[in-house]
Amino acid sequence: MTSLVVRRAQGLVTVQDEGRPGFMHLGLPPGGPLAPSRFGLANAAVGNGPGDACVEVIGEFMVCAQDGPAWVAADGDAATRLRPGEEFAVGSSKSARVRYLAVRGGFDVPVVFGGRGTLLVAGLGGLEGRILRRGDVLPVGSPELSGRDARAPTASVQPSDAVRVVGGPDGDADLLAQFLATRYIVSARADRIGARLEGPPLMWRARPGPRASTPMVAGAIEVPGDGVPIVLGPDHPTTGGYPVVAVVVRAELERVVAAPLGTELRFFASH
Amino acid sequence: MGDTMLRFPRPDGVSAEALLDALRAEAGVVDVIITKEHIGVTFHVGAVGRQGVLERALARAASRVDGPRARPVHVVRVRYDGADLAKSAAALGLAVSELVRRHQQSVYEVLLVGFLPGFAYLGELESALALPRMATPRARVPAGSVAIADRMTAVYPFASPGGWHLLGTAIDFVPFAFALGDRVRFEAQ
Repeated sequence: MTSLVVRRAQGLVTVQDEGRPGFMHLGLPPGGPLAPSRFGLANAAVGNGPGDACVEVIGEFMVCAQDGPAWVAADGDAATRLRPGEEFAVGSSKSARVRYLAVRGGFDVPVVFGGRGTLLVAGLGGLEGRILRRGDVLPVGSPELSGRDARAPTASVQPSDAVRVVGGPDGDADLLAQFLATRYIVSARADRIGARLEGPPLMWRARPGPRASTPMVAGAIEVPGDGVPIVLGPDHPTTGGYPVVAVVVRAELERVVAAPLGTELRFFASH
Repeated sequence: MGDTMLRFPRPDGVSAEALLDALRAEAGVVDVIITKEHIGVTFHVGAVGRQGVLERALARAASRVDGPRARPVHVVRVRYDGADLAKSAAALGLAVSELVRRHQQSVYEVLLVGFLPGFAYLGELESALALPRMATPRARVPAGSVAIADRMTAVYPFASPGGWHLLGTAIDFVPFAFALGDRVRFEAQ
């Protein structure tokens, strides 16, 4: 059976699929790609179903086909046929921090709690629940079994000036107004759990006291005591104790959590 | 919360497990998170009549009569060898053997699952064993650590940073075995 052997892996390089819905009551986050539009394009480029497992690359990655040929693609680029022994590389660039390597048939790692994606905090899913490294052997699934369909890939996210959020449910109108008036920078502290936004701290009119944990969702913008917001990503804790000033709408979340470090962001509220 | 989750106050007088079962049984519902004061529900894309779905499920949960619990009590076997055992006993003014005995004495309920995947907050710990969380959390608490903080006890399912006081180590602990509303007891080995 064809597999891809890892020749080089640097950075946060993991197997990810469309996520594992339905287990948040056990504390399992939904997972899924940081950049769904690129993920969808990569799968479409090799003729896969839209949710097949890819390798999510934040850093550098190179594979080599073994025991048979493989069709591979990086993001939406045209697919390439690799003969056994041929290498293929994909890496972060200045404009694309998060990239995907898709293989026709998908990466055939075990399904754990309904998904194949890697959840690092729990050491589960993906390949042995961990970041990929040189020498790993990634099994390739059979194209007949992968859920191919004719659906068009997710449209690329349209870059526009501000990112759309829905205000609340916590905090007050004053805190939300401050948040919407602030220009933020995506800080280096950004991973699959969440992205910290750099900017002047939000000032509480009345600082809330300690409170019980509440349900969390990807895109929630938590405001810790230091007033510097954190946007939750796909592997977020399912509960959290900080007030949520606003929530990024799902279709625009990758503009925050997959943004190149140093990207300047502003937010606007819609209903 | 945004365009994906509906968050609303948790109704009084209905058990967490009845709420969880009723909401998860609805076809349009993907995920349910229940905390002390709130319920968060996510839906499939395009699910319609969300408000009606919630009202129906909540009514069903409220009318459910919970008989004697059919579910067995989970027993966690513990080696009481935690790094903070002696310190915690001293802070509580108890002998180590007394702390160990009393930690095993109660049957705890899973009050909340969160923080880490599979991290179950078990309560209530008796007030005589309550210690505030450590001011400076440990950078790494080993997987399987049995710990206490405030009126809660828990088993760390995975290694992580943590500010609870470590009493011991669970033997052959399987993450994700505990669901909201389950009962848990500790037993020294």
